Amino acid sequence: MAGRQRPRRLDRNIAYFDEPPERRPPITEVGPVAWVRANLFGSALDTALTLLGALFLIGIISLLLTWSIGTANWYSITFNLRLFLVGRVEAFMDPRISILFLFIAVLAGVNFAAWSRIHLRLWAILAAVLLALFIIPWLIAGAIPPPLTWLAAGQREVTSGSITARPVERVAFIAGADEEIVFRLVTPADDAQLARLNSFSDGMANTLRNAAANRLASEQRLETVRQELAGDRLTERQRAAREAELENTAVPPPVHTSYEVGAHPLSLTLRSGDTDAEIVNGTIAPGEELRLTLPQEGWYVLEKRVPDNDDSIALLSASGLYPVFDRSFIREGERVFQYMRATDRLLVEGGRPRDAGGADLPMLGIIDHQYRGERPLADFLSLMLGPFLDQLNLGLALFTAVMAAAYFASRWLERRDSDQEVPLRRLRRSAVWLWLVTIPLAFLLIIGVSSGPFLTLSDPQLWGGLLLTLVLTVVALVVAFPIGILLALGRRSTLPVVSAASTLYIEVFRGVPLITLLFMSMLLVQFVLPSLSGPDNAPYRVMVALILFSAAYLAEDVRGGLQSLPTGQVEAARALGLPGWRITLHITLPQALRAVIPALVGQFISLFKDTSLVTIVGLIDLTGVANLIASQTEFQGLRRETYIFIAIIYFIFSSVMSNVSRRIEASGSGAARA
Amino acid sequence: MASADSNPMSQGTTISQTDEEPIIICRDMNKWFGEFHVLRDINVSVAPQEVVVIIGPSGSGKSTLIRCINRLEEHQEGQILVDGMELGHDVRNIAAIRREIGMVFQQFNLFPHLTAMQNITLAPIRVRHRPRAEVEDDAMQLLERVGIPEQAHKYPGQLSGGQQQRVAIARALAMEPKIMLFDEPTSALDPEMIKEVLDVMKELALSGMTMLVVTHEMGFAREVADRVLFMDEGRIVEQGEPEHFFERAQHPRTKLFLSQIL
Ligand SMILES: Nc1ncnc2c1ncn2[C@@H]1O[C@H](COP(=O)(O)OP(=O)(O)O)[C@@H](O)[C@H]1O
Ligand SMILES: [Mg+2]
Repeated sequence: MAGRQRPRRLDRNIAYFDEPPERRPPITEVGPVAWVRANLFGSALDTALTLLGALFLIGIISLLLTWSIGTANWYSITFNLRLFLVGRVEAFMDPRISILFLFIAVLAGVNFAAWSRIHLRLWAILAAVLLALFIIPWLIAGAIPPPLTWLAAGQREVTSGSITARPVERVAFIAGADEEIVFRLVTPADDAQLARLNSFSDGMANTLRNAAANRLASEQRLETVRQELAGDRLTERQRAAREAELENTAVPPPVHTSYEVGAHPLSLTLRSGDTDAEIVNGTIAPGEELRLTLPQEGWYVLEKRVPDNDDSIALLSASGLYPVFDRSFIREGERVFQYMRATDRLLVEGGRPRDAGGADLPMLGIIDHQYRGERPLADFLSLMLGPFLDQLNLGLALFTAVMAAAYFASRWLERRDSDQEVPLRRLRRSAVWLWLVTIPLAFLLIIGVSSGPFLTLSDPQLWGGLLLTLVLTVVALVVAFPIGILLALGRRSTLPVVSAASTLYIEVFRGVPLITLLFMSMLLVQFVLPSLSGPDNAPYRVMVALILFSAAYLAEDVRGGLQSLPTGQVEAARALGLPGWRITLHITLPQALRAVIPALVGQFISLFKDTSLVTIVGLIDLTGVANLIASQTEFQGLRRETYIFIAIIYFIFSSVMSNVSRRIEASGSGAARA
Repeated sequence: MASADSNPMSQGTTISQTDEEPIIICRDMNKWFGEFHVLRDINVSVAPQEVVVIIGPSGSGKSTLIRCINRLEEHQEGQILVDGMELGHDVRNIAAIRREIGMVFQQFNLFPHLTAMQNITLAPIRVRHRPRAEVEDDAMQLLERVGIPEQAHKYPGQLSGGQQQRVAIARALAMEPKIMLFDEPTSALDPEMIKEVLDVMKELALSGMTMLVVTHEMGFAREVADRVLFMDEGRIVEQGEPEHFFERAQHPRTKLFLSQIL
């Protein structure tokens, strides 16, 4: 258009002008700069609020990060990931759940292809993120050595406060084949160094550490008191109290000297945990290091012995020696004991080493060998982040790969017959069919069909975690949906009995809190449906409550959609001679449902979150698992970590759902606009 | 459509009540909305293939009158007979009569979740139970007749107003009605689209369709109508052939109305 310059001409009525050249707007008026200027620093108040908000966010985030990295015990998550995901379902369910997981990936891929586009850029980002999930653990494992474990040896008791500890001579641990363990003797220069033995440590090393820290703390306190007394900012009373404190507080002698903590010669013996056969027998002297390579995977026993008349305590650092989680459960009628190494989930099954008398030898159990003290970032990465990502990456990568395959396959099929009259119509129809297939298939896989070997029935009582949460949500919604539609139509019916009954139902169930319904359903459903009695049917009874509850809310959503339709739609249909039920089926319902997709998804999301209430009637859903973990001995009272974790899971699912709903709306899904 | 040339009456014939049996008869018809008397003592009959244009000020009851004829509104007194069947509370009669009558609305009222093609084929398949393939062929012909075969698979939201109204006409024609009712079919259209719709309606009139048209398009009335009805305050005030009607209206209210809109 720039080439067409018209001659300037002034007629009586018309003036022509040269076309002004096209220009880009000034850089300050477009793009991120303009956005920031307009939205964050628009006025003095905006600027102040922006800065305040930013400060607040930075504060919260840095607090959370410090806590997550330095203190939080994320083992409660990594160790219990299975519990979080599927609860305690039988082992034979694993392949079935994996199939379902991948089927959902196919479903997602096909539906994305049918209803929206995933840009190549987004695929690239996804691929990069997944790649990072593999590379980051690998990098961490390569670059950051796992922390050392502190062990003490000797014959002397150490007291710190009310705790008295004596070094154990033999300790059992698990390790893999060909692993190397390196021992070094260490002499702490002073108590400050002793107090900073931050890492895994045995009971004795930990007691030393605490004793040193306590001594330093009281020394510090006395120093403060002396300074205060030297100054003139104290009242008489305070001065007297401080003087008394100074008088009565005795700072014990330095820990490292009084117990002679340090590098003392030591004999170390490594035995096989199963056969008690000696594998290595060596001594280690100050300044030396002892390297042992382990022959096979399994239990080992380490004996550390000081000379008989030695009264000192030897301090030892070990790499490759890590605490163990233990658990036991019933598998096929027999009790199974499992031991899992904290750092890398190395798993050993069977009994643990015993002494000659038949008693269990002390082992490096996680309860007594927790990570002590603040964790530096490196230890967080190597102990927590790396292993956690390593647990997730394979599943996520598989899911994404299958989803991508389904996405591109259906787009390719779609493009192959692109001469279709209506683009995407066939693909969309297949996508809907796929949903209709997936839901029954999912229940088939989860519930099973018979007690035979093929699709063995699973015990509903064992369903738990995310699995239970999703099962409850989906069942409740799928069953409640048709009921809700009927109720909505019923409420608008011209027959007074039908509309009164529907209205009564809707108002009653919307007027009772879900939690009350849950309690009632646990007690009342069995009167109506005797087959649902008994504790193993609890999930089904809960489903009944959730269905009845959601049906009432869905009915109101659908009714809203019906009401929003212009009357002309029904009139046009009537004028064409369509009978009433066909008008509902072909004209009003499809439009009403499209109009309320956002409300329906909102209902889905709030139901998804509301299922957490089933914890209160004893089901172990996602929230239930979080509570359960806080009562395990290893993770006693660790609630913060687990709640943060499930909050993230709830959030991810909810935001995926609302994102999907936004995409459905944007796609118009058959043009619900006039 | 029914053969256009078998009947010579379609244009230029005089007022209705000839020897032929009327296809629509309203006798002493009255209707109230609550206390409000909308239609008063309506007496009209329409002969087959006649084109009747109804004009009148807004709120005079034009829409209500034609909506009574296909029972979108109920009348409370008097009689309406369509093709010999009386409109009463008999549901079977209502269904049968609706099958005879197509209606086109001011706001098009297309089904927004269905394509143009689906809008047209829905009723023939679901009400007349005709095979889909056959109905789709016919629908395609109808779309050609209204001049938009290429829009068959678009949704109403993707069509212009004029195109939507033409789809609406095709949708009504797909039921092969004997009578077509038009309620201000061009009032919601931008000026440049009015003609395309009127042209379709003219063609329809020429083909011999019985039509009742509420419109403010006086050009259309002059050119196509066999008879013009003027309504005011629920009454039929005056009627006549268009030449007569527009040049020599008798009633002062008709004159006033015509002077305002011409
Ligand atoms: N459903 C209804 N309920 C009550 N009053 C109505 C209804 N429909 C129309 N009316 C009233 O009836 C009168 C005639 O309406 P209408 O037939 O639409 O007039 P027109 O089509 O000639 O403009 C108007 O006064 C209108 O307000
Ligand atoms: Mg009107």
